[in-house]
Amino acid sequence: MVPKHCFLGFLIMFFLTSATGTQPAHVPLKPQKVQFQSRNFHNVLRWQPGSALSSNGSVYFVQYKMYGQRQWKDKKDCWGTTKLFCDLTNETSGLYEPYYGRVMTAWAGSHSAWSRTPRFIPSWETKLDPPVVTVTLVNASLLVLLRVPELPYINQNGKNASMEIYYDLVYRVFIINNVLDKEQKAYEGTQRTVEIKGLAPHSSYCIVAELYQLMLNRRSPRSDKRCVKIP
Amino acid sequence: MAVLQKSMIFSLMGTLATSWLLLIALWAQEAEALPITSHCKLDASKFEPYITNRTFMMAKEASLADNNTDVRLIGDELFRGVSTEDRCYLMKQVLNFTVGEVLLPQSDSFQPYMKEVVSFLEMLSNELRTCHISGNDQHIQKNVQTLKETVKTLGEGGEIKAIGEVDLLFMSLRNACV
Repeated sequence: MVPKHCFLGFLIMFFLTSATGTQPAHVPLKPQKVQFQSRNFHNVLRWQPGSALSSNGSVYFVQYKMYGQRQWKDKKDCWGTTKLFCDLTNETSGLYEPYYGRVMTAWAGSHSAWSRTPRFIPSWETKLDPPVVTVTLVNASLLVLLRVPELPYINQNGKNASMEIYYDLVYRVFIINNVLDKEQKAYEGTQRTVEIKGLAPHSSYCIVAELYQLMLNRRSPRSDKRCVKIP
Repeated sequence: MAVLQKSMIFSLMGTLATSWLLLIALWAQEAEALPITSHCKLDASKFEPYITNRTFMMAKEASLADNNTDVRLIGDELFRGVSTEDRCYLMKQVLNFTVGEVLLPQSDSFQPYMKEVVSFLEMLSNELRTCHISGNDQHIQKNVQTLKETVKTLGEGGEIKAIGEVDLLFMSLRNACV
């Protein structure tokens, strides 16, 4: 499979560089709806086939660059791929930098023009997952632990960098009193461990959390509820 | 007795006058010191989520109309050779140019965002009115000039490009001045 792709890739490049004036027999339509989909800063380029006819047996070629650069760079892993997506997380690691991606297809010996994405800035576009919440009862107070989606980037210590350092992000913890059916914000801040005190005995509470992007007034979906009964 | 009182009054008046003079001198010195101190600072609270979103929406819409992916106005080249403390002053120049020469002439396009974004940027520009730097700003003016010339050279496309970069302008102002 792989050598075949390489050969096709070579063929495509031959066509491109020789800039022939010949009209290929089958001109595949260029890929449609080329765009980045970003979740927790994992940035994946996705597209659709140009035509139903070419949806089988087409191969795709992916390039990317930062806005302002002259040269497009080949994405080696997606050079002659049959998939309809390509992971460009590592190539688009500047949170506030604008990027472009583009895709070209080849089918039955001819190639399409490039289809380019709109300008893509990871910070504006990424969708954040809710934090994962664990609640433990310590004496009469609740200890809430928040686990957040990890950034795909590795920092100098070799660890996954934490989101809140790079990003204008806070956690919000809400407490719901089940008897009164009342929800209250119990915490907003950057700590991942939150202690909630002053709870009424013999009542039950639920905890739910979300991530809140201060700068854009955007919030993640809410976490699953964690409920506890105070003895 | 009367003479003594008189001299006391005189010495009191003398002390008063001296203190006055001292106060005036101090005040004058402070006033003189004002232009040297830079006021290149913006309050973080100015960058509210609502206007942030509107700025990004406008940039997004304009950048769709910008097919020149090779040329970027607000990027590494603009900041080349400019120290961190001078960047707010640099961005002030870019801001004033963008508002005065690009956004206002194009104010009929990209509604309803344009109206809100322009007012917001004018407010920031006003806040930075007293932002100066001590010493030579030639290298800064050179970088700003390059940006201006790029916009002018590209014509209408250059103006669209500049509007498509208001999000970058916004972020750079925030990074440099807050």
